[in-house]
Amino acid sequence: MAAGTATRIHPFMPGGAADGTRLVSGAVVLSDLTGKPRFGLKGGGSADWLAAQGIPLPAVNRIGEHRAMRVLRLGNEDILLLAEDAAETLADVKAIWQAAPAPKGYSSWREEGWAWMRLSGPRLAEAMCSLCALDLRSQKFGADYIAQTRVGHIEAVTFRSPAGFDILFDITASAYFARAVAAVAGHTA
Amino acid sequence: MKLLTCPMNGPRNIDEFQSFGPVRARPDPNATADGDWSRHLFRAENRKGIVVEWWRHVPSNYFFLAERDLVSNEIIRTFDASELRDHP
Repeated sequence: MAAGTATRIHPFMPGGAADGTRLVSGAVVLSDLTGKPRFGLKGGGSADWLAAQGIPLPAVNRIGEHRAMRVLRLGNEDILLLAEDAAETLADVKAIWQAAPAPKGYSSWREEGWAWMRLSGPRLAEAMCSLCALDLRSQKFGADYIAQTRVGHIEAVTFRSPAGFDILFDITASAYFARAVAAVAGHTA
Repeated sequence: MKLLTCPMNGPRNIDEFQSFGPVRARPDPNATADGDWSRHLFRAENRKGIVVEWWRHVPSNYFFLAERDLVSNEIIRTFDASELRDHP
């Protein structure tokens, strides 16, 4: 940890806003990835700046890949890098961005503003069916697709991960979301 | 469930959208008579026919335009705002 950087307390950590809220496990498993590294850019210049770094940008609502990071194109000028297993690569990109002159877009603070959770387990399909109105079956919703919609009644971004579905949403709704998933898991068990 | 087709995200529950009212003319405040300016500021149109409106898909924060029939409430088409800019 760099000197002067406060340790972040995520909602499900001791002392966090959702401390004590149960994450379901069993037939439906909810895991919290909120602490994992990610970095989002938004606004004019974001796409050009990332492309100039050699990061290939997918079409809007599609996912690309660059050096083990997932590149989510949420809008023309709204891009999110997820680096679950590529913390160092992401830190490099971030450091270069911070030192770069404008235009380079603006940080969208996704690492602070959004929760990142993963839904998996043998009853995943039934659970997603109850949580989200979209047809997310694999023949309709590919591995590189992004859905910006509602999941568990809240605005969210969802997409496939090898283990299941990843869901990004407003971090302040973390406890609510965990309870919504637990309620659905109770019905699908 | 009523559906609205977002030009960027596809068909979605209309609950996911927010309406921002009709696209309005933007008169030049320096070249508009007081009467016309106050009409622009304080009076809303209330006519029958087709209106072009601003809508927002909330989860993606994407603003777009929709043509809607004010009598039948049918949404005729939705399109990206660049279309209006390029072909006003």
